[in-house]
Amino acid sequence: MDDQGRGTVRAGQSDRGVRIAELVGAARQGSEDALGQLVTELSPMLWHVARAAGLSSHDAEDVLQTVWMRLVAHLDDIHTSAALTGWLVTTARREAWRVRAVERRQLPADQELFAELPDRGPGSEEQVIMDDQRHVLWTAVSRLSARCQELLRIVAFAPRPDYATVAAELGLAIGSIGPTRGRCLAKLRALLGLDAEGCPR
Amino acid sequence: MTVSDSGGLPSADEPLDDIDFGLLDDIRDMFDATDPMPADLPERIRFFLALRDLEIEVARLVAQEDQPALAVRGAELSRTITFDSDSLTIMIRIDANRDGTVRVDGWLAPPQRREIEMKTTANALTVSSDEQGRFAFVRVPRGTAQVIVRPATAGPGGAGPSVVTPALIL
Repeated sequence: MDDQGRGTVRAGQSDRGVRIAELVGAARQGSEDALGQLVTELSPMLWHVARAAGLSSHDAEDVLQTVWMRLVAHLDDIHTSAALTGWLVTTARREAWRVRAVERRQLPADQELFAELPDRGPGSEEQVIMDDQRHVLWTAVSRLSARCQELLRIVAFAPRPDYATVAAELGLAIGSIGPTRGRCLAKLRALLGLDAEGCPR
Repeated sequence: MTVSDSGGLPSADEPLDDIDFGLLDDIRDMFDATDPMPADLPERIRFFLALRDLEIEVARLVAQEDQPALAVRGAELSRTITFDSDSLTIMIRIDANRDGTVRVDGWLAPPQRREIEMKTTANALTVSSDEQGRFAFVRVPRGTAQVIVRPATAGPGGAGPSVVTPALIL
């Protein structure tokens, strides 16, 4: 899937896509610095892929290391920001599931119950004192389906032009022509009581 | 900004607009605040990537097991961790020393003599495995560590790539 001309994207975010494509090119030529910049740029997204899959912090770190190591071997096949984002998200999800399956097999029986309850929600709200606006958003996101929560959590950290790619990787294809809003964001807006103009209804 | 004709509920089929982008920004800020990626993680990954050479294999965690260590008083556990790569299986057992460090015993399969490095944030320790593939680091500081099995030199046993494990917490 290409990442060009996908309709409404803000200029800054468009630039981010172009910059990432350039970094991919430089990394393919062997630039350690370009590869490092990609790591800095896209690791937060992968962190949330792994955490949304229910991994502990420690396992999430392992998954990120593994994914970046494997990317080095696959750079030749990747040319656009969207291709990179898609490859990273898919590989990180598969690796996260694999690690989860390994851990599950080793849990004593009495912990199995907890293992059946993946940490799908946004996380522990008590950790942070949230202002009212964020609390409203938190509550609304919590009411979305697990899949929508995962999508929005990952997409929020992805380069914006790659929204459609990430959605497709998660099996939530949204529009074949351009990046349409998709039902997850539409539902969130409805839950927040925002109408089409963004005003409270 | 895209305005729907109906002026009612936002439709899933409309293009993303500034409100959507604003919401995504807010969601990012929310997760940044509640479940932030460790700030030094990208730096550690860059460090890890810099170790690589052309002949490298990444071993993957395949099993992890805790069992009470009979010889140690208190709640200390002995951990056994197994990593697999294409050419090697690395199994390590971690036991607590009384001085706060840990002892790491390891086995390589197939058994072979290799140089093995334990890289920690404090230092890097190097030992060699014996013909049975056994090796031991008697005193390793606790914290983040990584096992690197150095390439085998060409010889009767043949050459082999470096094998690295993901960072583990000792």
